[in-house]
Amino acid sequence: MPLISPPPHHDIYSIEDLAQLIYDLKNVNPRARISVKLVAEVGVGTVAAGVAKAHADVVLISGYDGGTGASPLTSIKHAGIPWELGLAETQQVLVMNDLRSRIRVQTDGKLQTGRDVVIAALLGAEEFGFSTAPLVSMGCIMMRKCHLNTCPVGIATQDPVLRAKFQGQPEDVINFFFYIAEEVRALMASMGFRNMDEMIGRVDQIEMRDVLAHWKAKGLDLSSILHNPQVPGRVGRRCLIAQDHGLDQALDYKLIDHARESIENGSRVEFKLPIRNVHRTVGAMLSGEIARRHGSNGLPDDTVRFEFYGSAGQSFGAFLAKGVTLSLEGDANDYIGKGLSGGRLIVYPPKTSLFLPEENILIGNTALYGATSGEAFFNGVAGERFAVRNSGATAVVEGVGDHGCEYMTKGLVICLGRTGRNFAAGMTGGIAYVLDEGGEFRSVLCNPASVDLEDVVEQADVQALHTLITRHAEYTESPRARWVLDNWASMLPRFVKVFPHEYKRVLGIGVKPPQIPLMPPPTSELKQEAARG
Amino acid sequence: MGKLTGFLEYKRETPERRPVPQRINDWFEVYQDFAEEKVRTQGARCMDCGIPFCHTGCPVNNIIPDWNDLVYRDRWQDAVRVLHSTNNFPEFTGRICPAPCEAACVLGISEPPVTIKLIEKTIIEHAFDEGWITPEPPRQRSGKRIAVVGSGPAGLAAAQQLARAGHSVTVFEKADRPGGLLRYGIPEFKLEKWVLDRRLDQMRAEGVEFRCGVHAGVDIGGEELRRAFDAVLLSGGAEHPRDLTVPGRDLNGIHFAMEYLPQANRVCAGEAVPGQILATGKHVVIIGGGDTGADCLGTAHRQKAASVRQWEIMPVPPGERSPQTPWPLWPLKLRTESAHEEGGTREWSIATTHLEGDEYGHVRRLHAVQVGPAPRFERIPGSEFSIDADLVLLAMGFTGPEKNGLIEQLGVELDNRGNVKTGKDYQSSVPGVFAAGDMRRGQSLVVWAIAEGRQAAAAIHHQLARDHKKA
Repeated sequence: MPLISPPPHHDIYSIEDLAQLIYDLKNVNPRARISVKLVAEVGVGTVAAGVAKAHADVVLISGYDGGTGASPLTSIKHAGIPWELGLAETQQVLVMNDLRSRIRVQTDGKLQTGRDVVIAALLGAEEFGFSTAPLVSMGCIMMRKCHLNTCPVGIATQDPVLRAKFQGQPEDVINFFFYIAEEVRALMASMGFRNMDEMIGRVDQIEMRDVLAHWKAKGLDLSSILHNPQVPGRVGRRCLIAQDHGLDQALDYKLIDHARESIENGSRVEFKLPIRNVHRTVGAMLSGEIARRHGSNGLPDDTVRFEFYGSAGQSFGAFLAKGVTLSLEGDANDYIGKGLSGGRLIVYPPKTSLFLPEENILIGNTALYGATSGEAFFNGVAGERFAVRNSGATAVVEGVGDHGCEYMTKGLVICLGRTGRNFAAGMTGGIAYVLDEGGEFRSVLCNPASVDLEDVVEQADVQALHTLITRHAEYTESPRARWVLDNWASMLPRFVKVFPHEYKRVLGIGVKPPQIPLMPPPTSELKQEAARG
Repeated sequence: MGKLTGFLEYKRETPERRPVPQRINDWFEVYQDFAEEKVRTQGARCMDCGIPFCHTGCPVNNIIPDWNDLVYRDRWQDAVRVLHSTNNFPEFTGRICPAPCEAACVLGISEPPVTIKLIEKTIIEHAFDEGWITPEPPRQRSGKRIAVVGSGPAGLAAAQQLARAGHSVTVFEKADRPGGLLRYGIPEFKLEKWVLDRRLDQMRAEGVEFRCGVHAGVDIGGEELRRAFDAVLLSGGAEHPRDLTVPGRDLNGIHFAMEYLPQANRVCAGEAVPGQILATGKHVVIIGGGDTGADCLGTAHRQKAASVRQWEIMPVPPGERSPQTPWPLWPLKLRTESAHEEGGTREWSIATTHLEGDEYGHVRRLHAVQVGPAPRFERIPGSEFSIDADLVLLAMGFTGPEKNGLIEQLGVELDNRGNVKTGKDYQSSVPGVFAAGDMRRGQSLVVWAIAEGRQAAAAIHHQLARDHKKA
């Protein structure tokens, strides 16, 4: 299935969004280091400061020199600046704001020698990324065919015939890094450093070569790159303390306690809990625990059920594992169901409320971002970018804001009410069914650039639609769903099936079968001739 | 690139040589025709590498993946345009180049490489057949006069480039017809001479003047050349052969390859050569295991020699690419040319000790010994032997250009190998005198000569343009 590349990160529009993503990732796997990769650019220091404040464990300053062979030439040549510049700026800004001591700085982008490592360390990096050079050491010849599955040296390919041609040995890579380390050691010895920690951020050890006789070098002034900010001695110049991710406030510790037995032996458990909007990323740490034991298979359906009442914070049900059902009576914020991984989410307004659910916002923006599997039933209207980049989840909702199903690649979405503008922009896979009562979805609101709009006539479509709406009605007691089912005969023709072109191509639909010329069947004699060739 | 997965689907295929019993009875090209459709399939095997090593394997930096792709897509006219943009004479290199490009082909790491040379030849022959190769005379004349001394591939490439740039080019050739080694060194069965004449016709129409039978340095002096021309290009080749200094060398019946081969070519061209050196009915020994020796071998077979041996002082090279010359380097390995298939024996690690003649002073017996590896070639005691030999051909390489004559008169500086020394601009120590090809780099390939000729032409052109601006 084709994807839109480079991927738009519609879950990150601000540093606060990034902080939320880091928090989500840290929740689902508290043992993992969360690293944020930044392109070296003018102003990268400011962004890096934000990243440090957003509690990332590592920030990676990536220079423009390297680049994957699969990149278009425009991206290789014209994205970013050398890592030296970005790294110098990052180190200075982090030190000046006393943020450096709680984040590690990594750099990459055509590092090839021990000298590169030493300069990076002196400019402030603690970790160093290599890829092209070690790849070359084991046989990469920079074919720039990594994306075409035709790598002739068997590195960037899944083709078993080509993979058999791979001649690299682990020793080649070991050798390469041995030489790198040896050169670093020699340079450190010549400068009088005993360990790497002593070197980090020692820009005073770098000076401009005065042998550069080229006339262009006359105008060079490296002083701002080699600037070492003057700060009090208590301010760290390298990573000394761990980030405080604030995980101790997480509601999930309570959930894990309740579900401990279920995680161990699969017994069913059901709890009812209050929730407030300070409870962010509920369900992620629990899902991480399940994944650690059971992998991506999770638990049998509906093993762990939590019923919440109240107003949920951001990323409710993020990365929710299979076997977990979270239902919520109330409402939810942005990123609900982010990266949904097999779990089930059910949200409906308070039973005591008097408003019509299908006319009121129930959940925030960017629901089900990057969901890979699982189900979600929302008895109300969602915000913008509903199911953006959905890659496999099934969802029923009663209305969405602008840009619904944007960049969706797989899965199924049913919308029982009005959509905003630009529905299905960049959608390459999966199917959406939209109840278009007024007719403006078909004519105005949907972005038809990559999708076909069809009537729901196939028996399989009708069946799937009816089943899911029935389940939606059962889970959420949605009056809207009940009404649609009661008037099924008159409502069915108003559903529009949104079917991406690319998905059709992959399924082989809409492609004309090859023309078979009309020909008499070969006689036995002819057959024998043909067999002889 | 041709087809993305072409290299996985198609096998390398090259034209067959004609059967030996047939081809040793004539002097025609040894290769059979090859269908253009098959060549297009071969073009599909090119992988359009991100780093095309063939570009740098090729001395003229042919833009190989581009024309491979164009051939696959049946765009022959575009293909020949791209091919000619780097190589003046693809019809020569497509026939006789040892194809260092193919040795550097990325596919060659694990598979037989793309048939680059075959595709090159097919493109240019297609273009000639279609009548696309027409004279390209300059629109404007510069009024500058340039002398090119020597009409081998370096001189010809330079002459064509300079003439197309608008200069008046006069090529001096001491032989009676232009072409240098292309005409008198390379045997007919490797390069039929109509191929050369066809290109010379184009060059004459572009305004290149050939003055054959004029031996620069003898018939016209160095000073006179400098006076009469704005620039002089020395492209006279590395003609001085390496000699065998053993007792009996002065016997009759011992000749340099370059005495023997030109006569055979002249006879092929219909000339009468009185007292021609002939291998007919003789026991022939060729001393030297290289390409010139192979040319002598094929020629001797066609003259119906009684027996032919080719001797080499170096040990037998490995059958496959040796680890000393890993990809993408030019591999040290045993090569079997068409002449080697036609008979005779190849023997290695042999040094001649002395030659023995009959009462008329004609060589009859050759004494030799097995030797150890380079650089000392130590004789192996007890391995001495002798064989009958009526004709001994010396094909042991060339040590550099002939010094007496033009080089002496001009007083150009030589490098420590005895070749004309030049700067990066191909200009010798004497202002206005340039050098290219074997005369500058020592004995080498036709494709290197073309590369040097083109670069020297560019250097001369820039120099003249600079002088013109100053004036």
